[in-house]
Amino acid sequence: MPLLEAEGITAGYGDMEILHDVDLRVEEGEIVSLIGPNGAGKSTLMKTVFGLLRPRAGTILYRGRPIHGRKPHEIVTLGLCYVPQVANVFVTLTVEENLDMGGYLLDERELPRRRERVYDFFPKLRERRRQRAGKMSGGERQMVAMGSALMLEPDLLLLDEPSAGLSPRLVEEIFDNIRRINAAGLAVLMVEQNARKSLEMAHRGYVLANGANRQDGTGQALLADPDVARLYLGG
Amino acid sequence: MAVPDIRRGTAADDQRRPGERLRAVIRTRVFLLVSLVAVLVAMYLAGLAAGAGGLRLLALTAWGLMLGGVIALGSIGLSLVYGVMKFPNFSHGALVTLGAYVSFSVMHLLPPGSTLRPLSFGYEFLVALVVAMPVVGLVALAIDRVVYRRLRRTGAHLVFFAMASLAMAFFLRSLIYLIWGPDFHFYYPGQANPALQLPLGIRIRADQLFILALAFVLVGAVYGLLARTRLGKAMRATADNPDLAQIRGIDTERVIAWTWMLGGGLAAAGGVMYGLSSQLRPEMGFWLLLPMFAASIMGGIGNPQGALLAALIIGIAHQVSTSFLDPTYGPAVAFVLMVLTLLIRPQGLLGRTEG
Repeated sequence: MPLLEAEGITAGYGDMEILHDVDLRVEEGEIVSLIGPNGAGKSTLMKTVFGLLRPRAGTILYRGRPIHGRKPHEIVTLGLCYVPQVANVFVTLTVEENLDMGGYLLDERELPRRRERVYDFFPKLRERRRQRAGKMSGGERQMVAMGSALMLEPDLLLLDEPSAGLSPRLVEEIFDNIRRINAAGLAVLMVEQNARKSLEMAHRGYVLANGANRQDGTGQALLADPDVARLYLGG
Repeated sequence: MAVPDIRRGTAADDQRRPGERLRAVIRTRVFLLVSLVAVLVAMYLAGLAAGAGGLRLLALTAWGLMLGGVIALGSIGLSLVYGVMKFPNFSHGALVTLGAYVSFSVMHLLPPGSTLRPLSFGYEFLVALVVAMPVVGLVALAIDRVVYRRLRRTGAHLVFFAMASLAMAFFLRSLIYLIWGPDFHFYYPGQANPALQLPLGIRIRADQLFILALAFVLVGAVYGLLARTRLGKAMRATADNPDLAQIRGIDTERVIAWTWMLGGGLAAAGGVMYGLSSQLRPEMGFWLLLPMFAASIMGGIGNPQGALLAALIIGIAHQVSTSFLDPTYGPAVAFVLMVLTLLIRPQGLLGRTEG
């Protein structure tokens, strides 16, 4: 049974329909990359999966159980965590408080152990744990955001443009972190502007265009596809 | 925790123009505090010039501290509601009034006990206070369920929330007129509350000390709640970024419910204290609205310690100004201090800059 399976998703805002009949599947332990031009509906699809947007049609199953139409704070209990593209940390809270909020649904006695695991994963955060997240750089914030999502020890992490606006060196670091997270057994579904890099890392990829499935396949196959390369990977 | 707003660096490597450097200094909380204290000092001097003696000014200061305590209790709720829901709740003053009247009725259901000297009230007053707080909290919550939650669900603009809260202010006030009538009430009519003689010739009533102490205890409790508890952190997180709070698994509707309970309860405590210090009138909370808004803005939205500090400054300024101004100008004093804050440092005394 796939970890996540979305079928025939139609969704949008107000009168505007953005996604038309989109299918998506993530298997356990996989990295799946969503690519496509701006406005293709990649972020909308992520939001719909996580319950921030109610699909107008279609089903979303997580481990075979339907999750469409459920609220984010219910979905997060099932083992999915989502890191939005922007505003993904609480800027007025410290790093440690941000992590505690990531583990909001846990028993409070469980928090220190989980925090330690996140600090082991991102040692930089341990040094900065008393610092307010708003005072941190973009790369550090991204670490706080991922760390908070890891507090619930999810099976599937949804990352929306984790490398947006970061310097090339930091992009490398973020991709490295994603590989480490995946190596620890988590499946990752990510949206990336940096399409070539993310396909190189991904087990499978989906190309979205105008709110519909355009193509899918293994990361290598998509990289080798001349159409994908010409249209979405910049030649 | 205080992060200086002036970027560190020697004068030599400071490339900013003199005007920018000056603005950076003006924007600091130290400069704001100094300015506010300067205004206070000027008021004392004006009082002396108008012929008020030192003892009179001291007595006014004591009254001002007590009034500040009352304002602080109201402004914390205002500040929390603004922080979490981002709209100015104009009906907060009515919650203050309601608290005073609810405790008045509860008190009269209880058999009167002996007065707890040197205070002016008996045990029944304290019981009534403890009952009124959750009752008003529940009223605030009920209003949210009936009015504001519907607006939230339709994604209404914040202006609609503000207008709805103004409507609720008039609704609650009418309700108070209907139930308790337009006449003044006293918790203990005709009872004198002699002042205590403290060293240095300071005369202060035990009730005033009680009010101030209660304000400090409740502000401390709110601070502890926000800083240490799961609910408090969830409230701060919701105020910071409601969408992310939901993503993290926080049931923001529950957080909002607790915000109303807490804000309503504190408003009730403020109303009871205000009623104890003077009398119960249906308009009492309405006249506190401006000083309460001023205190929550001056202190920094969402910051209970800031609200307390600002409320004490406003309370003292309000009272001391009566030594040289007609008392009807009192509310204008709070307004002047608020405008001064907005000009110097809009995020307030203890408020923080984003990011």
